Amino acid sequence: MPANEPYETNRPDPDALLALAEKDRRGKLTIFLGAAPGVGKTFAMLNRAQRLRKEGKEILAGLVETHGRSETSALLDGLEVLPRLSVAYHGKELQEFDLDAALARKPTTIIVDELAHSNPDGFRHPKRYQDIEELINAGIDVWTALNIQHLESLSDLVEQITGVIVRERVPDTVLKKADEVLLVDLPPAELIARLHDGKVYLPASAKRAADRFFRLGNLTALRELALRRTADRVDDQMIDYLRQNAIEGPWATGERLLVCIGADPLSEKVVRVASRLASGLNAPWLVVSVARDDRESMDDEELRRIDDTFRLAEKLGAETGRVTGTDFVAEILKLAKREHATQIVIGSQRRRWLGFALRNSLADALTREMSGIGLHIVTADENQKRSPRRSAILPRPPSLTRPFVSALVAVLPATLLGVLIDRAIHLPNISLIFLLAVLACATYAGFAAALMSALLSALAYNFFFIPPLYNFTIASPHEVFALCIFIVAAVLAGSLGSRIREQAQTARLRANAMQALYDFARKLSGTADVDEVLWASVTQLQSGLNRNIVLLRPNGELLETAAAWPPDTELGVAEIAAARWANTKKEAAGAGTGTLPNCRFHFRPLTSPHGVVGVCGFEVSGDPLDSNAERMFSAIIDQTATAIDRARLSSESSKQALRLESEHYREALLSSISHDLRTPLATITGAVTSLRELGERMTPESRDDLLQSIEEEGARLSRFVANLLDMTRISAGTLTARRDWVDLGDVVRAATERARKYFPAQAFETGIASDLPLMRGDSVLLEQVLFNLLDNAAKYGGGEPVNIYVRRDGRDVAISVTDLGKGIPAADLDRIFEKFYRRSKSDGRSPGTGLGLSIARGFVEAMGGRIHAESPAVRKRGTRIVMRFPVEEKDRTAGSP
Amino acid sequence: MTLARILVVDDEPQIRRFLRPALAAAGYEVIEAENGTDALKAVATAGPELVILDLGLPDMDGKEVITSLRGWSEIPIIILSARDRETEKIAALDLGADDYIEKPFTIGELTARIRTAMRHRGTASKVPSVVASDGLVIDMVQRMVQRDGKSIRLTPKEYDLLTLLAHHAGRVVTHRTLLTSVWGPAHEEDMHYLRVFIGQLRQKIERDPAQPKIVQTEPGVGYRLSSD
Repeated sequence: MPANEPYETNRPDPDALLALAEKDRRGKLTIFLGAAPGVGKTFAMLNRAQRLRKEGKEILAGLVETHGRSETSALLDGLEVLPRLSVAYHGKELQEFDLDAALARKPTTIIVDELAHSNPDGFRHPKRYQDIEELINAGIDVWTALNIQHLESLSDLVEQITGVIVRERVPDTVLKKADEVLLVDLPPAELIARLHDGKVYLPASAKRAADRFFRLGNLTALRELALRRTADRVDDQMIDYLRQNAIEGPWATGERLLVCIGADPLSEKVVRVASRLASGLNAPWLVVSVARDDRESMDDEELRRIDDTFRLAEKLGAETGRVTGTDFVAEILKLAKREHATQIVIGSQRRRWLGFALRNSLADALTREMSGIGLHIVTADENQKRSPRRSAILPRPPSLTRPFVSALVAVLPATLLGVLIDRAIHLPNISLIFLLAVLACATYAGFAAALMSALLSALAYNFFFIPPLYNFTIASPHEVFALCIFIVAAVLAGSLGSRIREQAQTARLRANAMQALYDFARKLSGTADVDEVLWASVTQLQSGLNRNIVLLRPNGELLETAAAWPPDTELGVAEIAAARWANTKKEAAGAGTGTLPNCRFHFRPLTSPHGVVGVCGFEVSGDPLDSNAERMFSAIIDQTATAIDRARLSSESSKQALRLESEHYREALLSSISHDLRTPLATITGAVTSLRELGERMTPESRDDLLQSIEEEGARLSRFVANLLDMTRISAGTLTARRDWVDLGDVVRAATERARKYFPAQAFETGIASDLPLMRGDSVLLEQVLFNLLDNAAKYGGGEPVNIYVRRDGRDVAISVTDLGKGIPAADLDRIFEKFYRRSKSDGRSPGTGLGLSIARGFVEAMGGRIHAESPAVRKRGTRIVMRFPVEEKDRTAGSP
Repeated sequence: MTLARILVVDDEPQIRRFLRPALAAAGYEVIEAENGTDALKAVATAGPELVILDLGLPDMDGKEVITSLRGWSEIPIIILSARDRETEKIAALDLGADDYIEKPFTIGELTARIRTAMRHRGTASKVPSVVASDGLVIDMVQRMVQRDGKSIRLTPKEYDLLTLLAHHAGRVVTHRTLLTSVWGPAHEEDMHYLRVFIGQLRQKIERDPAQPKIVQTEPGVGYRLSSD
């Protein structure tokens, strides 16, 4: 027995595996690194391409900048060149790299020059390195070129060395992740000679800057940077190799950097310095922002700056995190311990004009507390000290007038009260009243107001209550001392009060936010409908963020707007592209991100445990979200995603239940039909075979009876088939009733006649009124309906007589069929007209097909009439089925003479 | 003289209407019942020797009738059933019904089933020691199986299977009965055992294993050893 056969056939096909691996393969990135423009990166790249081409490899020139140099363009000969995409940009025609064409072409290797290039607005990615990343993800090998000055972590150094501000920057991670880095080197003197010979291409506008840039000193420094970077990489590779092969080697011993940043402009520099330090030490590094948790002292500007710094750090390859706590030093040390940091990098703190004067600097405190950890302090540049970036530090006029007014409002009544009390009784500690005013200010108007009110109070106290009165001179020295104490007490009380106020405010804001989220969560938990969930979250987001919101859900291949506020929000092509990106790549896209940043909306994927269930976007008009709004946004979209998931699951389960029910129904239907077909067939087969095999031994009467039963069962079958066909006609909507003049008396008589033939033992009694009008209808259908009713009555009537009455009832003519059987429970009265419904055969009588009444209703309605059942009909038993047809008066008088 | 008295239990009057003269002509005496209660009463009072039972009865489930009957009577029961009611059929057989026949059936099939059931009931106490089928002789006393005079070697399980079928020669034996009696109650669901062993058995005893004549398959229900 071939017991192991299944294993044989289940063995995966190696070819299929290979194909799969090929499909999932990531492309390789090769970077040609140079110290400056003109060192020959493009030339080297094309040279190599030609060599590969001759070896028969497929290589596509996706974008090559030859800058009109003939020796470079000559190298393009024989290479397949991707046509460029021309776009109009600010009135100019630009020739750009066609990413989509490259993806569609899908070569083995593609050359895309100038890694640091920025795409014009409206492109999918703002930066070329993002284009390249997409190519690599698509499994295409990419060759590209980069000048060392464009590296993000070196930009400040380059600026320092050359005085040129580099705007097009490439994150260090790109270089780090590159599979291969080739250094293209040229001695600076030679490069300068090439420049003078006009062999280095430079745009006309950059000619002057170039003169400053292409100096021996600059070029030598840049060359050193490039060489060192490459050497670092080679070093890394060596260490990787040693590690992978378990060779003991002198690699760095687990250095780990902890970098602390704040909202100050120095932080950016701290990050850059730390990045260089980290790459020099070959150490992982963690950047954390340290904030106090007891008050939300940071304004939006500061938060944004921290976010910017974080983003820079991530680009440079750092991990990031936030730490909150009251004791900075303790928190930092705790973190350093947890992360096993060996070095801490901080910026030197500039002392603020107030408050921090008393405290030790962070650096001092850290040095005192820590042991075994290195500390790097990054100091500010000269120009940074003089002009802090932007105008954020400038005092804002409204923030000073408001506290001043509050201080006045508090101090004036206090002074008045003091004067009044001073008149009435002599109070030695009148300054307490002013302290009250200061506290009130601190509690209700903030720290600035408290400070001002303290100042005003001191002045007023001095002016009104310290002799000599009504001027600011102070006679006795002990009064000076008292005043000083008062000022100190006022400032302390004010700062305490304002702190309490701020805490209370923060708590209130947080409570509000929590309440809003809680309400939202409750709203969501109550709905199992996807649309309701979507609308709830859209309105919640709109009211919380005060921005336009859209929610998109995948519908097959398409991503469609499922809910939006305002509801008529239209998305442009760029927005839809960004939303699709967010949906498929499961990352943020659109405004404020690296993907399609020029569209109006910022999109986030709605991620549930079962994958992305949609995309949520908000309109970005000017400012990005502050951290509170950001938190709320994240919380709401998370909840929305979960709710959508839940709603989808619940709708799926109810669909499943429905399917089960309909399956059950279908099964019952099938079994009922099969029973109705099989019983007559069984009778006919049995009777026929009996007659053939045993007929000779039977009496003539028995033979006759068998033949008769065959005939009857044949008729029964044909009736059932006719019923099924009628039902099909009704269900299919192809039933059309004729509108002839019908004599109801004739129809009733005919139907009764037919019923009597089928049920010879059953008594049928008819009562037909003499004043019956003619009615319009289909006599064939009507006869069938009546027969079905009589058939039912005979089956369920319990053998008692069945009555048929036809009479006029107002504007209707009513036909009723009444049996005296067990009757029908009130709950079932409507259901008896349903298809294939039949009463259980508990009375032992043969059941019907479950079609009769359903067909009756179909026919009656087709003729414009109504039908209903009443039970009990007579003396607490029996069933009465009543049909009503409207009488057309006019026609009757015209039609009958 | 009648061969036996048969009770026909069916709520469809037309079925009873043709069974009555047909069975009478075949030599049986027919009594009728149209529901389960009447059927139980009739078995107790009228003393039939075989019951033909429709499973769909108005007052109680046909399976309940079998259960009550088996409480006090060994009377052979033949089930009238529909092809699509497989589970019901099997349940009825497991409850103690002797055989089944699917509607629509010919009178010849029905009388053949009646004869088999009667024969076994008549000899219920003493199991025949030798069963012959299509040239195969099973001697249960000597534990020998011979085909056309040549003895066939069977594994113990194959032999058990074959003798179990031989004990019920002519009647269907359900999968469950076969599995629980040959392999034990724990193997009630292990249908694949049965498929494999029946296949092996057929290879050894059938003239043409591709078209088995001795061990016949009753699809979805069980196996039947055809008896001469």
